[in-house]
Amino acid sequence: MSFLSTTNVSLPTLFAESNPNAALVSFLIYTAAVFVIAALSNRLLKSKSFLSEYFLGSRGLGVWAFALTFAATSSSGGSFTGFPSKIYSHGWILALWIGSYMVVPICTMGLIGKRLNQVARRSGSITVPDVVRDRFHSPVLGLMAVSLIVFFMSFNLVAQFKAGSLILQTLLDGVSIFESTADGLAQAVSGIPFLSDGVSPEYLLCLLVFGIAVIIYTTYGGFHAVVWTDVMQGIVMVIGVIIMLPLAISQAGGLENTTKLMAKMTPPRFSAGDKGGITLTLDKPAAENMRVEVGTWITDKPIADSKVPLLFRVTAAAEIPAGETSVDEVKVIQLTTLDDIERILGRRESENFLDGVTVSNIDLVQYAYGEEASQQGAYIVGPGPSPSSNTGFLPLSLAISFFFMWAISGTGQPANMVRLMAFRDTKTLQRSICTVAIYYTLIYFPLVVIFCCARVLLPGMEGESDRIMPAMAVYLTEHIGMGWLAGLLVAAPFAAVMSTVDSFLLLISSAWVRDVYQRNINPEASEKTIKLLSYLATFVVGTVAMVVAINPPQFLQDIIVYVGSGLAASFLAPIIYGLYWRRVNAAGAMGAMLGGFGLHLAMYVTGYFENGSFFKPYQMFDFDPIIVGLFGSFFCGFIVTKLTAPPPQELVQKFFYTEKAGS
Amino acid sequence: MSTAPSNDTESMQLDPVFLNSKREAWIILGLWVVALLWAVPYCYINGFQSGLDPESVETTMGIPSWVFWGIAFPWVVADLFTIWFCLFYMKEDDLGVAHEGEDLAEEIAEMHAAEDEATTGGNES
Repeated sequence: MSFLSTTNVSLPTLFAESNPNAALVSFLIYTAAVFVIAALSNRLLKSKSFLSEYFLGSRGLGVWAFALTFAATSSSGGSFTGFPSKIYSHGWILALWIGSYMVVPICTMGLIGKRLNQVARRSGSITVPDVVRDRFHSPVLGLMAVSLIVFFMSFNLVAQFKAGSLILQTLLDGVSIFESTADGLAQAVSGIPFLSDGVSPEYLLCLLVFGIAVIIYTTYGGFHAVVWTDVMQGIVMVIGVIIMLPLAISQAGGLENTTKLMAKMTPPRFSAGDKGGITLTLDKPAAENMRVEVGTWITDKPIADSKVPLLFRVTAAAEIPAGETSVDEVKVIQLTTLDDIERILGRRESENFLDGVTVSNIDLVQYAYGEEASQQGAYIVGPGPSPSSNTGFLPLSLAISFFFMWAISGTGQPANMVRLMAFRDTKTLQRSICTVAIYYTLIYFPLVVIFCCARVLLPGMEGESDRIMPAMAVYLTEHIGMGWLAGLLVAAPFAAVMSTVDSFLLLISSAWVRDVYQRNINPEASEKTIKLLSYLATFVVGTVAMVVAINPPQFLQDIIVYVGSGLAASFLAPIIYGLYWRRVNAAGAMGAMLGGFGLHLAMYVTGYFENGSFFKPYQMFDFDPIIVGLFGSFFCGFIVTKLTAPPPQELVQKFFYTEKAGS
Repeated sequence: MSTAPSNDTESMQLDPVFLNSKREAWIILGLWVVALLWAVPYCYINGFQSGLDPESVETTMGIPSWVFWGIAFPWVVADLFTIWFCLFYMKEDDLGVAHEGEDLAEEIAEMHAAEDEATTGGNES
């Protein structure tokens, strides 16, 4: 305290100023904790059946471990970047978009949990392809399952690595030691074309730090390390949200006020991707090259017949060369809501404004839905404003699709199924479903509220809405003079993506070791070989994914959407039939798997011919391809089963019957 | 796997875990349908409007009323149902012991049996 009194700096100010470093500190503490957990988990590996322990935690997960690993794995980085960004951009309609989460825990865990766990125990299955193979006694079906999982999940793993690095990059933005290390790295790799061409050194550094940390702790600790880090990550996430909620509501002047202000909002105008924007003219020529950064505010007097001042925010960096006075086609968004404009102009001192410029040649487009007089109040009613779709953000058919997407398609995700094979007993399942239900209630609905408040507190973030979570964390905590708290809050999205990556990594490596090597190449491999291969596979799969993520394939985000629904379309029906229908046979399960995969793919291929892009799938009756895929999969499975011979009776007996008591 | 099933069926009964989980799955699916039928039509009828007057927004506890009654309230109801269902309705079943390695052992045995058969078959011919 003597330090504080002599330099006359108050504690809160000190913390507020050290804000970027708070992110670094919290990241380091976090990573250290993760490694401790991995080391402890590794000790468990010595005592039990190695494969079952390494990939399934010896089927012994208790309530907290099971509930939180399930919740944390399901909420990927998207929950804390993509979802807040959507709430911010489209308003209250996101409550309906996420609405099915009210039944997601009971559906995704309860529909198949108990029975899947029992069937896996009965056959000794460790992975999802294992279950399919054992249940139908069909190596071909097992191979089909493992191919689909490896193919689909590999894309997903690369995407999650990328997401994790981007989030870390956002967190560490502005930390001096981080930027100087990135510069050093840039120099070190300048001679290596693969690492330097078009790759930002900050991204590369984050990818290396994030990737290596995840690969090491997952490889070393196996399933238990993943589970216990998930528990810690899950707790960080919920604490982050619980702290943010009251801060957001009180700083936005109450929820009532927020909704009233949102009712008056109209969407911004924006510059189209290829051409258009605004022309900036300086009062005097630039002395040296002048860079106009993303996020810079620009204001000018109202145009004739209007009282509303012009207010723009730059969405892509531009440069005015030395000696020049103007630059054309600067990409911006223009705010159109008077309250928002006045709020930003009112805090001109603390915002980044570009002074001494005038604006001309305004060539901006308006939202396809949300600005017409008949669409007033777009942010508080359905279908929500949309820049590109003239039916709005969430038309009725999509709202129904999302009910399928989250609750039903979530049940069909192999990463979730693996967890359902790992809980200890029914009691654990029962209590865990309740825990996850409460957990999701504490996270998802509050997120909608928080980021509706963000519309009021931080207008004009549409151009970089993926950064709304860290931006909001910093804004809220600085206002109460506790900048250090931002470190904890921004750890939440990082935790979310980390807990997803580690699970996917283990899922893919288990597919290689167990399903490809042990069950198809060398069933009699020794425990020692399998152990070595497990470590090796996890390490290699992680490293390859990390290397690919340096220059990730184009359309990565679109690929993820395709992958998520494709997996569910391929796996849900075979698993449900296998667990609950005695008559189903291997041919039926194959029909369901291929039918779902094929029909879902067909929607995308048709989209390629109809809409000109593979990633604009054909929407039969306006529904998402997942619905066609799921229904098709169940239908094909049913028909093929009915047309082929019943399964061997001993197989049915093994999985559907028990000895009569006393006999 | 080579036991004659007809002799066994009399000493076997349908697995109660299978029956219980099947019944529970149907109820959960029903809950999903109810949630869908409550949330989506309610929000569509009350929350999808055009030409809204910003001054006359209906709110409940600061939330637009259609969100409150279409999402927030059923969410709480769904949570209560989930808790009741899991803690008081779901049967506490014995999931059995894990037969670790059994599937593999079985396949190895089958593999060797096939090999033996091939050798014996080859010798006989």
